[in-house]
Amino acid sequence: MIIIQPFAKKLINGKQNPKNYPYWKELIALIDEPIIQIGIEGEEQLTPDFRKNLPIAELRSLIQECRTWVGIDSFFQHLAWAENKPGIVLWSVSDPLIFGHTENINLLENRVYLAKNQFLWWDFTPHNPDAFVKPDKVLEFL
Amino acid sequence: MQILCSVATRGRYTTTLPLVLSAIINQTRLPDKLVIFDDNDEPQDMRENPIYKHLFSIMDSKNLKWEWLFARKKGQHHIHQMANTMGFDWVWRCDDDAIPESNVLENLYRYTTPKIGAIGGSILTPPYMPDTLKVTGNIEQIDLEPNIQWNYIPRCKEVDHLHCSFLYRAGIHDYNLGLSRIAHREETLFTYGLKKKGYKILVVPESVTWHMKNPEGGIRSETKREMYEHDEQIFRNIVGNSDRTIVVLNCGLGDHIVFNSILDSIPNPMVFGCYPEITPCRSIAEAQALFGDLDQWNIYKKMSQWDWKGSLADAFKKLYL
Repeated sequence: MIIIQPFAKKLINGKQNPKNYPYWKELIALIDEPIIQIGIEGEEQLTPDFRKNLPIAELRSLIQECRTWVGIDSFFQHLAWAENKPGIVLWSVSDPLIFGHTENINLLENRVYLAKNQFLWWDFTPHNPDAFVKPDKVLEFL
Repeated sequence: MQILCSVATRGRYTTTLPLVLSAIINQTRLPDKLVIFDDNDEPQDMRENPIYKHLFSIMDSKNLKWEWLFARKKGQHHIHQMANTMGFDWVWRCDDDAIPESNVLENLYRYTTPKIGAIGGSILTPPYMPDTLKVTGNIEQIDLEPNIQWNYIPRCKEVDHLHCSFLYRAGIHDYNLGLSRIAHREETLFTYGLKKKGYKILVVPESVTWHMKNPEGGIRSETKREMYEHDEQIFRNIVGNSDRTIVVLNCGLGDHIVFNSILDSIPNPMVFGCYPEITPCRSIAEAQALFGDLDQWNIYKKMSQWDWKGSLADAFKKLYL
């Protein structure tokens, strides 16, 4: 079983968070393994097994049970790191050298897509699908 | 080493401010730039005023860069924080009614070795010249002894805090922007903060500034008692917890998780945060009430200030270890 954590926090201005991976449906279609999606109420359901609003303790248990996980740059990559469970992080505008962990596989299409200022809110950074690696590339590491 | 001279002024266009500017441009060691932060309710363009026109002309002749900025009337601490973050190595802050003798900057600058955070000289207001020979300059004695800068300083001495005008290492410690507009204790808290970050604070001889204590105007011309009490309480809370490492996690859930990796290395921590289920902590609201300004612990603001390229965990180490 693998865990996916597809979405970053919603932005106040209602726009798509630039850290959200745009190819989840294509990636999920390529994965031949049970998948559990984790997230919060209001996020799009991408898999039959979508577990919403789990308490931190339950998330920790789930991380221990999974083979690995795939997610975007959000709290979950840090939680899994704290649980010593390596996974794959799909990056775009935030810098894995600052916010990532070397224990994970950090997939970044190109550093030219990184936001110039890494320390502001993401509301003013546009979502750019080209900034992400494609699903077949993710599958190579899965 | 680039030195900025900052002067915050209010209500003293035609009294002591020209004297201060004259004293600055007659220093034996000039600063690299002079910025006048005009905090008047109705700021004026003084460039055509005969006195100022002459002063600016001398500055230009001496190649002293100068700038006159209209401040936001939020208090002296906001002004000094702006100067603190202007990218200079050192800032010499001068009050608008304190007249430095011509050797002050040169003399203060002599002490700017790598372990020094701030250097102050005598700030004299005759006829009040208290006996300061036995004054310690320790923060714990602040209610019990006069300020060591209020008389001639016979020899260089390490202290905990300075007041009024001094030269300080820029970009190391933030002014507490949680103080009220009158910014009571702002320079004491600031210099004590530099000391807590491991830098020495010195008072040195032969660096005399004459404090004219002009009764009119002044950056602290407001006298609301509640503001003084508010600022005094913040001061007491910070000094009262000086044996603790205050940690404020006004950041996200993931940041709390990363912070946990360094928590055990922090001596005697007092942690305030947003996610007690991740990091055992007291509330952010309590930290705000106790210490006023939380931005000095905002890890994202700090990383931005530092133009940070390293990891988040290393940024937490830089802030707290």
